[in-house]
Amino acid sequence: MVSLKEENLVYGIKISSIGPGRISGSDLIHEPNNTDLAMKLHYLKCVYFFSGEAVQELTIMHIRKTMFLWLNDEYITCGRFRKSESGRPYLKCNDCGIRFVEANCDKTVEEWLLMEDHSLHNQLVYHQPIGPELIFSPPVYIQVTRFKCGGISLGLSWAHILGDGFSFSDWINRWGLLIGGLKPNALPKFINSEEGSKIPAPIIGKELLSLKRVDPVDDLWVTPNNCKMETFSFHVSPTQMSNLKSKVSGDKHKFRSFESLCAIIWKCIAIVREGFEPKLVTICKKDPYTKGGVLSNSQIISAVRADFPVMDANLDQLVTLLVNQAIDERNVIEATVKTDNGLSDFILYGSNLTFVDLEETDLYGLKIYGKKPDFVYFTIQGVGDEGTVLVLPGKNDPGKDVEVETGRFVTLILPQDVMLKLKFELKNEFSIA
Amino acid sequence: MAPVLPDFSNSVKLKYVKLGYQYLVNHILTLTLVPIMAGILMELLRLGPEEILNLCGSLQLDLVQFLCSFFLVIFIATVYFASKPRTVYLVDYACYKPPFTCRVPFAAFMEHSRLNLADSPKSVEFQMRILERSGLGEETSFPPALHYIPPNRTMDASRADAELVIFTAMDSLFEKTGLKPRDIDILIVNCSLFSPTPSLSAMVINKYKLRSNIKSFNLSGMGCSAGLISIDLARDLLQVHPNSNAVIFSTEIITPNYYTGNNRAMLLPNCLFRMGGAAILLSNRRSEKNRAKYRLVHVVRTHKGTDDKAYRCVYQEEDKEGKVGISLSKDLMAIAAGALKSNITTIGPLVLPASEQLLFLLSLIGRKVFNPKWKPYIPDFKQAFEHFCIHAGGRAVIDELQKNLQLSSEHVEASRMTLHRFGNTSSSSLWYEMSYIEDKGRMKKGNSVWQIAFGSGFKCNSAVWKCNRTIDISTDGPWADCIDRYPVHIPEVVKL
Repeated sequence: MVSLKEENLVYGIKISSIGPGRISGSDLIHEPNNTDLAMKLHYLKCVYFFSGEAVQELTIMHIRKTMFLWLNDEYITCGRFRKSESGRPYLKCNDCGIRFVEANCDKTVEEWLLMEDHSLHNQLVYHQPIGPELIFSPPVYIQVTRFKCGGISLGLSWAHILGDGFSFSDWINRWGLLIGGLKPNALPKFINSEEGSKIPAPIIGKELLSLKRVDPVDDLWVTPNNCKMETFSFHVSPTQMSNLKSKVSGDKHKFRSFESLCAIIWKCIAIVREGFEPKLVTICKKDPYTKGGVLSNSQIISAVRADFPVMDANLDQLVTLLVNQAIDERNVIEATVKTDNGLSDFILYGSNLTFVDLEETDLYGLKIYGKKPDFVYFTIQGVGDEGTVLVLPGKNDPGKDVEVETGRFVTLILPQDVMLKLKFELKNEFSIA
Repeated sequence: MAPVLPDFSNSVKLKYVKLGYQYLVNHILTLTLVPIMAGILMELLRLGPEEILNLCGSLQLDLVQFLCSFFLVIFIATVYFASKPRTVYLVDYACYKPPFTCRVPFAAFMEHSRLNLADSPKSVEFQMRILERSGLGEETSFPPALHYIPPNRTMDASRADAELVIFTAMDSLFEKTGLKPRDIDILIVNCSLFSPTPSLSAMVINKYKLRSNIKSFNLSGMGCSAGLISIDLARDLLQVHPNSNAVIFSTEIITPNYYTGNNRAMLLPNCLFRMGGAAILLSNRRSEKNRAKYRLVHVVRTHKGTDDKAYRCVYQEEDKEGKVGISLSKDLMAIAAGALKSNITTIGPLVLPASEQLLFLLSLIGRKVFNPKWKPYIPDFKQAFEHFCIHAGGRAVIDELQKNLQLSSEHVEASRMTLHRFGNTSSSSLWYEMSYIEDKGRMKKGNSVWQIAFGSGFKCNSAVWKCNRTIDISTDGPWADCIDRYPVHIPEVVKL
């Protein structure tokens, strides 16, 4: 029986492709580095909602035209993966393009956003994994859904091998500049394996904590799961955030919102999974030294190990652990993937309980005709069994005044059985979710 | 070194002999008349003026006889000028330039093929092999409706495609020539595969509010050579209607004809046919004489339809699953070669210089009388024409013609580069080729151009144009943004 919740609210799907308007070159190749290859089973899914009068005048034809112009410089995202003789994947920049999907919905943007079930946003993103035919699998999909009020949603599916959430956000924002009639000033370049942010030289032999090797997936790049994963999202208002911080530590300003939320959720999950509490977590954050305008997987990936029982720990203690004891694993990841030339398959998100800090992405920086999105939803496809927590910025700009609290939007991707109990725990103890 | 020199000196000697022979035969009239005229002049000078006057007086003409002879001369002159065919000028033409959003890179074509033909990966492999060897480039275009998976082949989409191509190119033609819509007396639209009711010519009349007494025609089903058939029709009409303008629109609307089955003979057109169109303004008005680009000299049409094999070699039909497609037979090249032979047999005497015709005649007599095994003499058409526009039907067609007519690679460059940049745009490809030659700055006053097109039926049609004025490189033609990149080397097989 199909419940009302699963009713298909989106119809009139039309699929085509868009690509660079001019020839990018012949025999152009992009070689993903070892960290890129480690991320290949993960995909980012993001939905931007725009309403208002200005957007009503934005036609599909204009979107396509500006995207063709935008993709002239973004030809990496228009290529297709192949395997070299050694079996290592590389990207052929053959202008094959991005899959472009048009759809319609009979609700208004406002009505849609009032719906509580955030997992419905998946209907606004057309997603297919890469494979089984690598040469015919686009790494990026864009879905434009027109709502009854004339507003639109822009749903993107992005293969993580191309770049992390921060690169992705910069990438789509460059299109936003073109819509507004401006030219993006930082032209993206290839990032060579040797370039990139300042990762220290790979250290062989050190234990890898944040990445897990999985059984070979061949040419279908999908994360193997042993249990059914569920996604749940909730807003944390500025007041709630303020209260949470005080619960963590007497001094509201001692810790950042992200670490406070991490500690709370980690403890709750530990309580819920009594006896099997997660002692090891992975933290992903933006690297402040990464060059802008470049597509790369350069986010800081650190592992945190708790030597004490988490479910009984003080929140203060947990936050201190997260802030001070996080070990940057990027060099170990690089070395581990390098050992067999990128032929093994790994997962990052969900190999341990993972917390991703997306507060510093400029998700609300994608403007159409000067207007920010009403709401941005962000999730990860292909999360492992340990689960992942995403902390996104609230809509309003924090601005320079750190005294002013801003809200957050939290997305949990956890096994079904953990999720139910966690929601209960968070609601009871912390009045969130 | 020694063995090489004699060959070289032999070939040089041969070259001069050939040149001498050509000069002698081509100017035979001049060469025989000059001595005769010189002789008469010498005689006259010898006689002196009084003797000449005596000679005239002895003829004893009276007034009536004199007047009659005078009017006879006037009468003969009038009949001559009245029955002379009206000169048809090509004032200008405009080719459709597809927008960059319609671009079809190889990889995208193959991927869409794979998704559209989900059940037949072998057919996809076949198309890939064709595309690799096709001679097309990465900038050819499909109409917007064919970019969808599955392709949108409805009547609405086809009309939208037709409107996009026709109206854009017509607007361009109006701008280039300053032509007012009300001044169009004859309108001919040719599009082989899409023939709605009301016709495409009616669509043009409706859009541009043309006159109600316009002579409009719509030619469909006549294949890639229909462009020259339209030119022929316009020429005939311009003989009957004095002081008139004729607009011809040659295009192929491929939206309704993307084949979705897996019969190999029918998959070929998908790989080769692309979006394109050309609007041409012809006129017989004397006022256009100065600004017209070309003058139409000959149109020769050859139809091999009596032969069943030729008739069926390009055949639109349903495949085993009921899907409609155009089937190309394996004999296509052989039939094309045969049609070409017929065509050049007719056009040869019209355009070849006397030297070539004499050689051909001698070779013909020799083969008939002496030894049938003699190789037939292929007249050197490079003597008659400076430029060749061979319909860019496919790489094989251009290769075949280059071989048969013994043309150099520069002669077929326009055709090959048009195939590379625009694909096979059917009847309009000849105009993209003309535009290429012009934009390379090669079209000079007095140059002769030979346009050859093949089409279903099986037909081979040619048109001969004479360039009326040296043509400047344009800034708004279809080649404007890429002419500097051409010519490109097109590899035998492109690695996909």
